[in-house]
Amino acid sequence: MSKKLNRRDFIKSTTASTAGVATIASGISLTTFAVNDNPVTKEKRWGMLVDINQLSESDIDNMVNACQEENGWGNETHSTGHQKPSWIKKIKVKDRATGKIDSLPMMCQHCEQPPCVDVCPTNASMRREDGVVLVDKHLCIGCRYCMMACPYDARSFVHENLSNQKEHMPRGKGTVESCTLCVHRVDKGGVPACAEAVSGEGVIFGDLYDADSKINQTLKKIQSTQIRADLNLNTGVRYSGI
Amino acid sequence: MNRLLIILLALSYTSVFAYSGEGHINLGDKASELEDEGKSRDIHPSLSEIRKMHPEFLLHKRDKTLRQGVRTKRDSLKACVNCHSTSKDGEYIPVNAPDQFCSTCHQKVGVSLDCFSCHRTTPQEDL
Ligand code: SF4
Ligand code: SF4
Repeated sequence: MSKKLNRRDFIKSTTASTAGVATIASGISLTTFAVNDNPVTKEKRWGMLVDINQLSESDIDNMVNACQEENGWGNETHSTGHQKPSWIKKIKVKDRATGKIDSLPMMCQHCEQPPCVDVCPTNASMRREDGVVLVDKHLCIGCRYCMMACPYDARSFVHENLSNQKEHMPRGKGTVESCTLCVHRVDKGGVPACAEAVSGEGVIFGDLYDADSKINQTLKKIQSTQIRADLNLNTGVRYSGI
Repeated sequence: MNRLLIILLALSYTSVFAYSGEGHINLGDKASELEDEGKSRDIHPSLSEIRKMHPEFLLHKRDKTLRQGVRTKRDSLKACVNCHSTSKDGEYIPVNAPDQFCSTCHQKVGVSLDCFSCHRTTPQEDL
């Protein structure tokens, strides 16, 4: 069914997909972005580098707001306290010795070895070839094992009926959700909303494998860390300045 | 098993021909425009195919989109909703509301839809 492509074909067809506008009827035009109709591959690994030193408190708040705005969570009226969805949050870490406090944005770390995927009984919790970890809500039965398994408390459960969701981000009661790395943008060549919300280079998004990408080059130069690196999950989200 | 198959076939037969001829009672704004211009067949070359097969098309497309990142318009639920929503008094009516495009047939054959507990029921853009 799916046509096998060798690497060269793949590169050829990716570079050939361009933006254009097609008119199918007067008044209705289909804008075609550089949509790629080839499946994602493991030749890429999407990641993000967060430089704590360059992020102010308000930058982090802006990231949270941008995520809410983009993906439409945070307006749940019937959920209380811990029931409220939270795809990205501001957390504070304190050095016990010096008392130094850092604030950092925390979202799904898009682990290469994701515990949330290991425990899912239905294969709803899944990792795309390019490293993005998602919940396939069509298959999610709402057991919330993944929420318990995630060391970063990155997942939320939707406790109430929703309406007026974002077109690109279906969400509904009884399913688990978390940061999608804004795949709907990334698949069209864009960057995640939180990264866009920060000016400067506080958050760099890109392909960790691509030697020409800014994130790859920066990670080669500077000292960075994975949160709970001891768990060996090889996260896609990296931090510097902590 | 065979009997079940026959019942199923009979059901799909009646549902497929529930709105035979060209007239679906509520096609939706953009879809009606296209029909008036004689362009519906550019989108759905065979009416009986889309009536019978749309669940399979959607299922196939959902896995490709979610798991493989293939975001083409063909068979995307978003595109269905965009064309088949009807507006009234400057607002779109949810496509799964009673007597709207999705619900007419599903009501008739007693199939409950679960697309729209998660998916948006109106086009994203305002009127
Ligand atoms: S951070 Fe949590 S939700 Fe995200 S991939 Fe890792 S285990 Fe899964
Ligand atoms: S809540 Fe959903 S995604 Fe999480 S483990 Fe259960 S079925 Fe899988």
